[in-house]
Amino acid sequence: MIDSDRQTPRYADTLVHASVPIVSNERIAFDTYRLRFHCAEMATRFVPGQFLMVRIDGCQDPLLGRPFALFDTVLDAEERPIGIDVVYLVKGKLTSRLAKLERGAVLGVWGPLGNGFAPVAARRLIMAAGGIGQTPFLALGRESLGRRAYGTPARPILDVPDVILLYGARSADRLAGVDAFRDAGIDVRIATEDGSAGHRGRVTELLEACLAESASARGGVQVVACGPDPMLEAVSRLTREARVACRVSLETPMACGIGICFSCVARVRDGEGWDYRRTCVEGPVFAADSIVWSVKPGGRNDRA
Amino acid sequence: MIEVGESGSRSEWTRSDVMSETSRSDVDLAVPIGRLRLPNPILVAAGTFGYAREMERVVDLGRLGGVLPKTITWEPRIGNAPWRTVETAAGLLNSIGLDNDGIEAFIAHHLPYLRGLGSAVIVSIAGRTEDEFVRMADRLAIEPGIAALELNISCPNVAHGVDFGADAEKCRRVVSRVRGATDTAILTKLTPNVTRIADIAEGATEGGTDGISLINTVLGMAVDWRARRPLLGNRIGGLSGPAIKPIALRCIYQVAERVSTPLIGIGGIGSIDDVMEFLVTGASAVQIGTANYYDPTVSTRILDGLPDAVRELGARSVIEIVGSLEGLARPGARGPA
Repeated sequence: MIDSDRQTPRYADTLVHASVPIVSNERIAFDTYRLRFHCAEMATRFVPGQFLMVRIDGCQDPLLGRPFALFDTVLDAEERPIGIDVVYLVKGKLTSRLAKLERGAVLGVWGPLGNGFAPVAARRLIMAAGGIGQTPFLALGRESLGRRAYGTPARPILDVPDVILLYGARSADRLAGVDAFRDAGIDVRIATEDGSAGHRGRVTELLEACLAESASARGGVQVVACGPDPMLEAVSRLTREARVACRVSLETPMACGIGICFSCVARVRDGEGWDYRRTCVEGPVFAADSIVWSVKPGGRNDRA
Repeated sequence: MIEVGESGSRSEWTRSDVMSETSRSDVDLAVPIGRLRLPNPILVAAGTFGYAREMERVVDLGRLGGVLPKTITWEPRIGNAPWRTVETAAGLLNSIGLDNDGIEAFIAHHLPYLRGLGSAVIVSIAGRTEDEFVRMADRLAIEPGIAALELNISCPNVAHGVDFGADAEKCRRVVSRVRGATDTAILTKLTPNVTRIADIAEGATEGGTDGISLINTVLGMAVDWRARRPLLGNRIGGLSGPAIKPIALRCIYQVAERVSTPLIGIGGIGSIDDVMEFLVTGASAVQIGTANYYDPTVSTRILDGLPDAVRELGARSVIEIVGSLEGLARPGARGPA
């Protein structure tokens, strides 16, 4: 079941704000790193699709935190969540600095934040990712396959038989974490713009094919997507045409992540029109049909 | 309360019985701002704390000296197009554009929550005209649970936002007319984007303001030269954060030497040292703004450190250290009662 389109803000009801040392920070693809820190209180509360804010502790330049999706929780020998993994792409001032930090450097972190994905009730889950937009989907895939329970209190163990990741990237060297997805039992299908891995073309082409193949699937299909706005707009259109439920996780620039700055707004349908809504507390996950897509010059992802 | 340990430790807010600020130490933290009495000088700035509800599980709101919800306007405003914020060196440029649902929605949906916080609620209002400021003050005058109004005559991100803040006579008039419409304490928030801020402060004082909040953001701009375009949706915006602290301190200093009206310092405050610098320079209280974004539990942590910092100066009260800067010449004529 998809919850209703109109969402109530989810304020930071279980937020943990901590200073934590980096446990590891390793390059896993071109300009892409996997960062790990330990914080059991935070890890036990996370559900797939939620995010956290990360900054360099005490640093005034860069000053603000940046939002990162939970890539996965880290478990101890008894399978209790003790840490957080984040996968990030080097893009600006903070991520450039972050990439140079080593084990022991101290970060300021606060989370979990945002609504996350509702537990998936379909028989087939299709996760469409563009670029670094793959990061929320490892945890969601694990949960949906019934491999791991997230959150406090723990969410139900699910049994979605068929979980597919459609992963689009510019080129093969930018594909990050593919092994982790495959090891989790997720069917990974790749598209690269230059054809250096998988299908040559766009992830939306993979989605079209996957939707066609799913047309006869019994028990329902659900699509989730994360990536640049133009991709999400295309995914939204394709799923609407196929009459398949779709939720999107928006990537909007944020200053605080907790609802107090009103920076990260998206155009969300409101009655006949739309209103700017904060993606940090009303999202980042929205029903695809509730978003008024805008890719005119000056628009959000137009600058990425 | 927040427990912050050594590096690598975790802090987590848990709701616990909190002693009143004076009972936990022998330092008197209370400060008068005209007719407004605050239990301590640590407030959070309008527009940097949402409507406080967002922070209820992050910060123990009842401990704060005062809470300023996001500025409200008479009519709803949708706000400016993204991008609304851009980080710059040690600072944040914003152009939110007073995105809010209007005064009636505020009274219906936010005020009932705010008045239950146990903290002084200071409502920041922005009118497009003198009449609109008066109408808003008048409307709020019948609502219980409001400790003060802050007149935002200094928002750089809306048309006419700074008109009243850039002219001493216009400032005096709007303050004076609001003064006539309400018995609630009035704070007047000034812009630094003027040549002589002390002149404007004098206008606010003559108009009868209880306190002067300064500063609002400093006008600024960020540009992507490759794309040949400004980064903010509104092209220009207001700079906040550590980058503007020296400007704010200078403004406090200049205004403290001109008027005896109590001052509330705002601008790049993110640590107890910052707070003490403002108090010594002449601010009776401070508002923490952008630091809430990058260090969400900072406000109550600063409050925890305040008694020790006051004692370090050999003082037993915050009032004693306000304006104690060497060589600061405060006028004596009109002061807090």
